[in-house]
Amino acid sequence: MADSMQTVPILEVIAHQAELKTFILPRILDAAPGQFVAVWLPGVDEKPFAVSADGPETIQITVKAVGPFTRRLLNCRPGDRLGLRGPFGRGFTLMPDSLLIGGGIGNAPLRLLAQRLTERGLRYTWLAGARRAADLPFLGELQKNPAVRLFTDDGSVGHPGTVMTGWTDALAATPTPPRLVCGAGPEPMLLAVREAARLHRLPVELSFERYMKCGIGLCGQCCLDGSGLRLCVEGPILTEEQMQGVTEWGLPPRGPSGRRPATTPKATRP
Amino acid sequence: MNPLAVRVAGVTFPSPLVLASGVMGLSASSLKRVADAGAGAVTTKSCGLEERKGHPCPTLLPFEHGLLNAIGLANPGVDEMAGEIAEFQARSSIPVIASIFGRTEAEFGEAAARLLARVRPALLEVNVSCPNVGSEFGQPFAADAAASARITGLVKARAGHVPVAVKLSLMCPSIAQVAKACAAAGADAITAINSVGPGMLIDPHVRRPILANQVGGLSGAAILPLAVRAVWDIARTVPLPIIGTGGVARPEDALQLILAGATAVGIGTGVYTGGLEVFGRINSFLADWLDREGLRSLDALRGAAHPARSQEAHHG
Ligand SMILES: Cc1cc2nc3c(=O)[nH]c(=O)nc-3n(C[C@H](O)[C@H](O)[C@H](O)COP(=O)(O)OP(=O)(O)OC[C@H]3O[C@@H](n4cnc5c(N)ncnc54)[C@H](O)[C@@H]3O)c2cc1C
Ligand SMILES: Cc1cc2nc3c(=O)[nH]c(=O)nc-3n(C[C@H](O)[C@H](O)[C@H](O)COP(=O)(O)O)c2cc1C
Repeated sequence: MADSMQTVPILEVIAHQAELKTFILPRILDAAPGQFVAVWLPGVDEKPFAVSADGPETIQITVKAVGPFTRRLLNCRPGDRLGLRGPFGRGFTLMPDSLLIGGGIGNAPLRLLAQRLTERGLRYTWLAGARRAADLPFLGELQKNPAVRLFTDDGSVGHPGTVMTGWTDALAATPTPPRLVCGAGPEPMLLAVREAARLHRLPVELSFERYMKCGIGLCGQCCLDGSGLRLCVEGPILTEEQMQGVTEWGLPPRGPSGRRPATTPKATRP
Repeated sequence: MNPLAVRVAGVTFPSPLVLASGVMGLSASSLKRVADAGAGAVTTKSCGLEERKGHPCPTLLPFEHGLLNAIGLANPGVDEMAGEIAEFQARSSIPVIASIFGRTEAEFGEAAARLLARVRPALLEVNVSCPNVGSEFGQPFAADAAASARITGLVKARAGHVPVAVKLSLMCPSIAQVAKACAAAGADAITAINSVGPGMLIDPHVRRPILANQVGGLSGAAILPLAVRAVWDIARTVPLPIIGTGGVARPEDALQLILAGATAVGIGTGVYTGGLEVFGRINSFLADWLDREGLRSLDALRGAAHPARSQEAHHG
């Protein structure tokens, strides 16, 4: 059963930066682009991560350090065992002439999407953005890929500015409008992509994150307000239609207790 | 008349199928989704006086025959939950059952009072039987008939006109005796059973328990026979309506609990094994079944597996 826990040894670790690494693991499961796995670090915790590439016998996850779990994970070495459950959720649709838009670590699931599109001989353009060069995993690989355009806020690599600055150029440069826009990254970026896609009447599929525990749609942790959609089962990739049923965009997400933090920050004393 | 409608402690459920506590139960929107999928009542996640993040993950572990869970009573707190219940009631006419817990006997009464000061659910469900907080709270209150009865009394004293169901566990010498004690203390219904055990699964390679809490309650297909037997025993001992819960994923499972004496049937893990469609699927099966049997309601099936039930019910 794929949903049950299986532990595997880490085969290889690629350190993109001290705070950004890719783990190569035995291929005990087949994930579609955008699907995720639950990664168990025995004795620590278990958290969701997208699959960022695969090979005949391996799968990869790419992890950015943001807190206690990811920091512990980044200290793991080849031979250490991780538990895996999954794959969970629904992935991106594989569509010719896709426009991929990634922000920071959001480029990880897009990497598997680009891989699948290439395997099927489907054309795509990939706008890969980050705050700075150091936040882009697989920089070398991205720079070699003619379908990729790079953007950094500080201009340390690629075009200066956000992926959204590249949006209009990308639309103008492609002979036919994209058949599907696929996005992954921070939520404000995703909501901007959604707006832009709506303006240009383009179909979108965007990868969202919420606090998740079970991965199988039971614990209720990642249910979105409005339609009650379970992001771990019916997401994490959402279509425009799915997004329309959701009323919580722009609100601070519910935490591990299920409580949504107050919208207005507490008044600070002068 | 709707042939699937049942009455639990004076409350009409349009279907006997109830969303069990702890599954998709943290927000109004997710409860609404389950109501729309065909549940006749929905139960919130158990909430207590204070917000709890619950145990670290893994908290939930599917295996071949069921599921272990050690969520650790993660909940936003009664005040937040009251807000979710109010929103649900504004959006759905399906009865909502508010599940509460306490770390101490007194906290159950306080949680009931705090909740009911803000909102009026169709029923209160008193979770005296969570099996995965033992390291923190000690053994579940449900293991002790006298403690369960005292808690029932404390909640009843605060509940006013809202009927109270007590949620029981098999982690006790006789679930029927606990039910009897709760009935004597004023319980209006019994929900049985909570997840069982607790159990443990160990990863052979890393040689440690997989659940962060080490142990977790067992639910799903593996516990259906235990739930059927528990409902059977309770039905022979107390005259209260029973929300029979445990291992239901197929229509025949629900029917077994009804034949053992349940008025309504809770579904938790079945939402995973059967998908959200589980409610609609079992509803249509039951409607067809009644039609084929020429029955106008589920009444004739309730407890029908008991031999000479009418005499025994008062003696058990
Ligand atoms: C579907 C999905 C796919 C993801 N894919 C990747 C990926 O490919 N690479 C990557 O580096 N990160 C990914 N993440 C995010 C990753 O799960 C979090 O960075 C990680 O859980 C943080 O844990 P922490 O203890 O290091 O940080 P914390 O300090 O605990 O939290 C930092 C941030 O991560 C969020 N977070 C913490 N725990 C969870 C949780 N259980 N579920 C969801 N969010 C959580 C917090 O809300 C907070 O915003 C993904 C998240 C989701 C939901
Ligand atoms: C993930 C999960 C969380 C649960 N949380 C609660 C809870 O908060 N309160 C409660 O009374 N029961 C809780 N339960 C127990 C269920 O309500 C139910 O009694 C039990 O799982 C047996 O039914 P099932 O086999 O249909 O799941 C939980 C069960 C699961 C699987």
